[in-house]
Amino acid sequence: MLRTSIRSVRALGSRPAAAVAGRQWQASAARRAVVSGQRFYADDKKPLVDEARLPAAETLTAPTTPPPPPPQTTPAATITPEQAPLTPPAPGPAVVPPPPPPVAPIVPKKKGFFRRLRNFLLKLVLLGVLGFGGGVWYSRINDNFHDFFTQYVPYGEEAVLYLEELDFRKRFPNVANRVTGRRADTASEQVSIPAQSGASWRVADGDHAGRQSSGVAQKVVAAKDAVKDTVKDIVKPEPAAVTKAKKETAALPKVEAKDAALEKKVKGVEEKKEEVAVIPAAATSSKPKEFRAPDVNEPSVWPPASPIDPLSVPHADDAIVQQLVHMLNDIITVINYDGAADKYSQTIWKAKDEVSKVGERILSIKSAAEEEAAKQVKARIDSFDKHANDLVSRLEAIMLAQEQQWRQEFEAEVERLKHNYDDKIKLIQEREQKLSEQKLQNKLLEQAVELQRQFSRDIKKHVEEEREGRLGRIESLSRAVSELEKLTTGLNEVVDTNLRTQQLHVAVEAVRASLEDAHHPRPFIKELVALKEIAADDPVVDAAIASIHPSAYQRGISTSAELIDRFRRVAAEVRKASLLPEDAGVASHASSYLLSKVMFKKQGLAAGDDVESILTRTQTFLEEGDLDNAAREMNTLGGWAKTLSRDWLSEVRKVLEVQQALDVITTEARLQSLKVE
Amino acid sequence: MADTAPATTTSPTSGVVSRPVSEALLNEKWDRCFSNLIIKSSLGLGFGVVFSVLLFKRRAWPAFVGVGFGAGRAYEECNSSLKQAAKEIRKQA
Repeated sequence: MLRTSIRSVRALGSRPAAAVAGRQWQASAARRAVVSGQRFYADDKKPLVDEARLPAAETLTAPTTPPPPPPQTTPAATITPEQAPLTPPAPGPAVVPPPPPPVAPIVPKKKGFFRRLRNFLLKLVLLGVLGFGGGVWYSRINDNFHDFFTQYVPYGEEAVLYLEELDFRKRFPNVANRVTGRRADTASEQVSIPAQSGASWRVADGDHAGRQSSGVAQKVVAAKDAVKDTVKDIVKPEPAAVTKAKKETAALPKVEAKDAALEKKVKGVEEKKEEVAVIPAAATSSKPKEFRAPDVNEPSVWPPASPIDPLSVPHADDAIVQQLVHMLNDIITVINYDGAADKYSQTIWKAKDEVSKVGERILSIKSAAEEEAAKQVKARIDSFDKHANDLVSRLEAIMLAQEQQWRQEFEAEVERLKHNYDDKIKLIQEREQKLSEQKLQNKLLEQAVELQRQFSRDIKKHVEEEREGRLGRIESLSRAVSELEKLTTGLNEVVDTNLRTQQLHVAVEAVRASLEDAHHPRPFIKELVALKEIAADDPVVDAAIASIHPSAYQRGISTSAELIDRFRRVAAEVRKASLLPEDAGVASHASSYLLSKVMFKKQGLAAGDDVESILTRTQTFLEEGDLDNAAREMNTLGGWAKTLSRDWLSEVRKVLEVQQALDVITTEARLQSLKVE
Repeated sequence: MADTAPATTTSPTSGVVSRPVSEALLNEKWDRCFSNLIIKSSLGLGFGVVFSVLLFKRRAWPAFVGVGFGAGRAYEECNSSLKQAAKEIRKQA
């Protein structure tokens, strides 16, 4: 079941029926027909279709005509799952082609063979036809097989299509006619409308006709709707009158409300509003049941009498009147609700008159009372005004009199005060004058005294100056003498230091000379001792001498010639060991010795870190007399080379130390002499 | 072999007395090595000759073997002394 339903859905939803080309549409429709089975034998429906050809005798209003029976749309699978083959049948028989094999030309001589051949051919044809027929049949059941069959078997597709179309046409003669008719141009064919689909005032049964889901049917329904609307319009006018009346009743209380608002009585307005709210409610509730115009087939009926209008009293601002009106309106609503308006209308009218009369009378009484009150109030106001005026005038007179009196008193007082102050001022002025005269006299006296004193001071100063000038000259003389004495002593010192520095110079020169002119190393300890004595305890000289190694001045230092000579020897030895590896044995020593003989020698300031170039550089420096740099170069050697050159290096160092110390002492001596000057 | 020991010890004592200048260090070592070689190989030769006369019916090879032993011994000593010196140098540095 599930399978078939899914298949049907696929068949329906796979392509939109209207949009696809004709042939394909037919095919799909036919397949759908296959799916939904053989229930739709259109034989039953044929009479209905015949009936649909516009029956002229039928009337629009005939209620007795039964609605057409709803189309049976329940699709039921014709193939039960038990019947449906799980696997498609072997296409063997179908594949066998119908054309017979060309065996015919071989003409047998025997009769038996001929017959056998004929039998064989017959069987073959029979089998082929059967297989083809079976394939066509099964292709309608199974989709997969259908595809296969139509694709591979010759004439298979045509056969299946033809069969499907036949089936489809049997099921849907209408659609088939339309589809085919479009091609065949059947414009002359008349459009048939079923009896029930025509214009009718009935609403409910309308859509039975449209179930065929064809465009024609839908159009018919639309037409029916239009007709229905016109019928309704015809029926309407009668209830329209009723609704109009209702509207008038609703409008009446609105007008009343407007009047009340104009009167501007707040209380009244509020209560009125309540009333207004009540009245329309009553009006709407008292509406009788919707009057229906009688149908064409019903007996005509009179419309019911219009309900009694609720009472409304103009200028109903009095509480009593309002209550009365309210009561009456309640009664009216009750009557209206009961629908007994006819009966009580006279009485109610009378009551209404009475109520309105009562209201008017109350109004007149009220107005009379108001007028009287207004008169009284006016008289009172007049009397009050008069009294007030009297009082004001009296008060003003009293105030004036008082003011005049006060002014007189004030003026008298002012006069008296002025007099007093004038007297005081005169007295004070006289005193001031006396005081100032006294002060001036005092000042004069003071000035005289001051002048006398200054004079005496001047004289004294002159005398002192004279005396101090002479004394000062004597003092400067004595000072000059003392300075002269100091100078002489200083000169002595200068001479002494000069001597000492000269001696220092001499001593240094002696040391240098003893070092330079010796052809052999000679101890210069005596010269050094002399130098130290002469320098007394000059810290610089002491330090310089201390820096010299004792062995240097005890044994003496070698000259530069000696150093060079020794360097040559050392260099030869170092060269022998220049190619030694780190941890050298006998073999490496021997090889180094042999190879060093073969090595090229460098010249000048050779670049490089190897032993040979270092040696060359040192030699160059030595030849230039630059002991310092030579020593530095040799110091960069390492390993055996360094060990071999150790003694020479220490020798050079000693020489350098001595030279440095002497340099320092010479500089010190020069500094001393400069200081003296 | 036992005679070699005093020979090696006597030479350094002479070195200590007059300390050699640094550039002569290597040469001195070489001298000692050579003397050592001569002494030891001659000793070996002597032993070899004695053995060959006494034991091997005056064959030549025992003498050669003796010389070889002596020379090898001398070589080894020289080698070790040189390496010792190199080690000391490295320690100083």
